[in-house]
Amino acid sequence: MTLDRTLVAELEAIVGAKHVRTDPGDVEPYARDATPVFRAVPDAVVWPADTEQVAALLRLATERRVPVVPRGAGSNLCAATVPERGGIVLVLTRMDRILEISPGELLARVEAGVPTSVLADAAAAQGLLYAPDPGSRTVSTVGGNVATCAGGLRGLKYGVTRNYVLGTTAVLPTGEVISTGGRLWKDVAGYDLTRLLTGSEGTLGVLTELTVALLPMPATTNTGVAYFGSLAEAGRAVDAIIGDGIVPATLEFLDAKCIGAVEEYANLGLRLDAGALLLFGDDGPADVVDRNLGRIGEQCTISGALEVTLAEDVARSEALLTARRCSLPALSRLGTLTLLEDATVPRPRLAAMVDRIDEIADRYEVPMATFGHAGDGNLHPTCVVDQRDEAAIHRAHKAFGDVFAAAIEMDGTITGEHGVGAAKLPYLAARLGADQMALLRRIKAAFDPAGILNPGKLGS
Amino acid sequence: MTGLQHPPHEQHMATPPGRGIFDPQLLDRCISCGFCLPACPTYAVSKDEGSSPRGRITLMRALETGRLDEDDPRLREESSFCLGCRACEPVCPAGVQYGDLLEEWRDHQWRGRHRPPLAQALMMVAERTPLLRMMGLVRRHARTAAVPVQTSLMLGCFERGLFPGVSRAVRTLLPDIAVPPQQGCCGALHAHNGESEKGRELARKLGEQLPGTIVTTAGGCAAHLAGVLGRDRVHELSEHLAKTGATPVGEVKIDGRRARVAIQDSCHLRNGLRVFAEPRALISAVADFVPVRGDESCCGSAGTYSLLRPRDSKRILAPKLDAYEAAGVDYVVTVNPGCQQQLHANLRRRESAIRAVHLADLLAAAAEGRPLTRGRRWRVPRVRFDLRRGSRRRGASGGTAGWSA
Repeated sequence: MTLDRTLVAELEAIVGAKHVRTDPGDVEPYARDATPVFRAVPDAVVWPADTEQVAALLRLATERRVPVVPRGAGSNLCAATVPERGGIVLVLTRMDRILEISPGELLARVEAGVPTSVLADAAAAQGLLYAPDPGSRTVSTVGGNVATCAGGLRGLKYGVTRNYVLGTTAVLPTGEVISTGGRLWKDVAGYDLTRLLTGSEGTLGVLTELTVALLPMPATTNTGVAYFGSLAEAGRAVDAIIGDGIVPATLEFLDAKCIGAVEEYANLGLRLDAGALLLFGDDGPADVVDRNLGRIGEQCTISGALEVTLAEDVARSEALLTARRCSLPALSRLGTLTLLEDATVPRPRLAAMVDRIDEIADRYEVPMATFGHAGDGNLHPTCVVDQRDEAAIHRAHKAFGDVFAAAIEMDGTITGEHGVGAAKLPYLAARLGADQMALLRRIKAAFDPAGILNPGKLGS
Repeated sequence: MTGLQHPPHEQHMATPPGRGIFDPQLLDRCISCGFCLPACPTYAVSKDEGSSPRGRITLMRALETGRLDEDDPRLREESSFCLGCRACEPVCPAGVQYGDLLEEWRDHQWRGRHRPPLAQALMMVAERTPLLRMMGLVRRHARTAAVPVQTSLMLGCFERGLFPGVSRAVRTLLPDIAVPPQQGCCGALHAHNGESEKGRELARKLGEQLPGTIVTTAGGCAAHLAGVLGRDRVHELSEHLAKTGATPVGEVKIDGRRARVAIQDSCHLRNGLRVFAEPRALISAVADFVPVRGDESCCGSAGTYSLLRPRDSKRILAPKLDAYEAAGVDYVVTVNPGCQQQLHANLRRRESAIRAVHLADLLAAAAEGRPLTRGRRWRVPRVRFDLRRGSRRRGASGGTAGWSA
């Protein structure tokens, strides 16, 4: 579809001509996000300045039945912001003000387009911690994090984005502006729409303002590394650690392929002869952190670790975490197409799932590298292939289909933190069942009767 | 166990054969993760994906595959709006060689009549060695007999005329270095302005004129030369001093105290050759080094950028000058003549008390125990009429108060 000229003029009247783009070269960069393969060119890209403009835009879009896809920084990995039906991409990066940080109430109010690390830094400057820590935090926006319920490296102890969203200002597709939740930890007035909007991937409303919870900044943070012969062994060590009664902030693991790729990028002196690396970290009072890391080290040794070392200083600790965040792009150096999945299982099934992934990769003869948030049972099996090798790509997709099926069989899920978007929608019914799928559609229809908001994604 | 059916629309479509503008190996490298966005100065000012490295690579792909017309206005605009600072490269975990892609892009986008006339003119001047040599001779850059030796100093095509004092300062620091006057342009200018083959040819020629190790005071030239002649043959000055174990002597003082000195990195030196610790260490040895937020990001000089896109160049520079002034430094050290010119001119324009000085000048002044000079002779006090106050004041004096020079 193309937008008629009167509609473009109306868009311009709302946000100003400067903030509406329809030329082919201007809209092309918004055809994709960080998800490989998925691509669809929008008809227009619009940058609103405030909630009122978003409301006016959505009213217009509903009236004219034009699809609207809200977008933050476009760093999601499920094609949630690919405008599969064309229409308007609504970019919220102009709305990037931190409205308030309240140390007394332990909360912050931000506009949706604030980058995650900007909020985290601003909070840290006041001695506060914004706990959600997605891998793309320097790129992603808070609005995007809430819309996809982003996870990250601190999930085990601190939970994920949804645990920190206290309130939202959201614009419904029909133009009403609603405020859900607010500054309260206790508020049971009505359905929990804040939670419903969190992770709704821009299908129910456009989030324009968020109130998020902060925590006092822990006094110290430290990180350690344990090497194992295999990823499954590292998985069993995770069980042993938590079985010992420790819930550290971070428990991440990487297999040998990932270690190699990360080492090539970051030059940290990681051991390249090990089958797996377990990165563990904790924060809190210095003595507690020391004691916990010591105990984790012991459990790793008991579980057969080849070597356990603690970071000697903060810089090393940061470098290790940064390197872990870069696992995916670093892996991409191995080929030209990087396919990544996000299957998640209950923690005790982690080692079994790792073995299962290996078996599936062997069966389909695809090179599979796995890393992930071990403490959360959240795995990122990754296939790096040549984008011109159709047969390998086909086998990789079939292998991932089996991985999803295996995860569901183990009471797990098809996606732990990346989201459904367009990428995993076809697998959603297998996870939710027909009744829940139908309910999702009814919820979607209640919010968005005209079906204009991110169509072809959740709830369709 | 049966696998879930994978959906038909996820069938991957292989990239169709392209127009052959880009090396597919380079173009395929990017996975669109977006880690480059926060590092990009033009994304910071535009907040538009199309003006980010990831977005530009999407545009390059659209150009390559034919999805966009070769003369699409946005393609033309972005190939020129990009500073080419390569700040996206060190932050890219996927190892995208953006600088190389940009050269290929400009080779195509700025072909023939599409090239900005000013860039064309500058390249023509750079190739006219006698003309530049004359300029340099008049302004007395350093020179020695033209005998091939182990290590020689590259004079730079414009630097020899614009900042002849830099090569003299290097001779103070390295009395044994050869400075043969018979040397041409390194070709970086060409490589960055849509003439990458010519750029490589000029670099090879310079490599023949200066056998052995080439020391340069220009970060941009160093990166280009190293790319063509090999990393080992090219030393940027600070790197050379560090590698040869030279210890800076003396100190730079202002009003009896050690001078407070910040740095402006050279983008290609930092992002291309990853040299940034060395100049900082040298500054710390002779003055109080003051780290300033953003001292690593592009100053907007970016080769020909400040001439071709003066407004954007100033927009990139302004917050950086604010930061230097807020930090209360006396000098900003540069390691590239383009940055030197950009900071020098714009600090003067805002009548700042800060002066831009090349690293070689700073170190030579420290070694000789002389105060740093006040800059170029043609700087005369201007009489300006202040409309708001209706009073006359001397424009330049306010800006230089406190200099010991």
